Amino acid sequence: MALPIPAEVEAVFREFRTCEFSTLAADGTPITWPMLPFYRASTGQFMTTTSIGLPDKAFNIRRNRRVSLLFSDATGSGLFDAPAVLVQGDAVAPDEVKTSIGGFENEIALVYRRQPAGARYTRNAAMRWFSDWYFMRLEITVTPRRILWWEHGDLSSAPTVVEAIHVG
Amino acid sequence: MWAEIRRHLRGFSSPVLTGVDGDGYPISIRCALELDETEQALRVSLPGWTGIRPGPASLLCHGHNDLLWDLHSFLARGTLEPIGGETWVFRPSRLVPGMGIGGLAGMARFALAKRRAARRYLQRRGLARPKIDWAQLKTVQAKARQ
Repeated sequence: MALPIPAEVEAVFREFRTCEFSTLAADGTPITWPMLPFYRASTGQFMTTTSIGLPDKAFNIRRNRRVSLLFSDATGSGLFDAPAVLVQGDAVAPDEVKTSIGGFENEIALVYRRQPAGARYTRNAAMRWFSDWYFMRLEITVTPRRILWWEHGDLSSAPTVVEAIHVG
Repeated sequence: MWAEIRRHLRGFSSPVLTGVDGDGYPISIRCALELDETEQALRVSLPGWTGIRPGPASLLCHGHNDLLWDLHSFLARGTLEPIGGETWVFRPSRLVPGMGIGGLAGMARFALAKRRAARRYLQRRGLARPKIDWAQLKTVQAKARQ
């Protein structure tokens, strides 16, 4: 069930171009890289993917499902004075290499709308040879456990927090 | 490594520091850093609400333009420890270049390394290199341009 969040936080999930996605390496070091997340309002989950050329995120998740997503860079989003949002949650990353875009046409079209220069990777045979690994993807699904946000993106103040209630 | 980190940091105003909280989850915060040249470390002020624990941490610097291009990023792995009040020190131990670091040659090295990593991923699972349906992608790109 989706955690209750205000419209301005959902707008951040919908419009921010990237988030800072953290997984935990084998030695416990949190490893953070920018990612393109997709928010599923109906379930409250996030879907993202990583290439098998960059599989460490998936390996980390299979070892330790704890992850976080920080939405703190509004560049290109069109949002003004947006809150900063941190999502902590549990992720799964099945070992299934996906090369078909079936079922994800809308998300991929959205990426090309937001990042038109990304089409360069498929422009000619040489570029396609060079970058085919990028299109071999592992799906990652994140179920939020806790969502924290800061009005006006001011991280020096205490955040507003909503948490999932765990029974049993 | 310290010289490299210092050089790369110049292009970024607010890096993302990530530690681990009391529940064992990663927690990230944008922060301003102060370089400590003597210690070859970075000082940072962390508000008490973060609940970050001393230990492994990382520092990500990244950016993109309004069209999600001109991507550049690097990560520093290290440790985080409190040194008094809200002041902590991040001690980098390893630099991991990301996108857009090292110019065109760096990008080529990055792409070739990831191509090899993809091959290893498939080989370890006994999988053939899959064919990408480029025509399908072109169709989606055309839809995106409409």
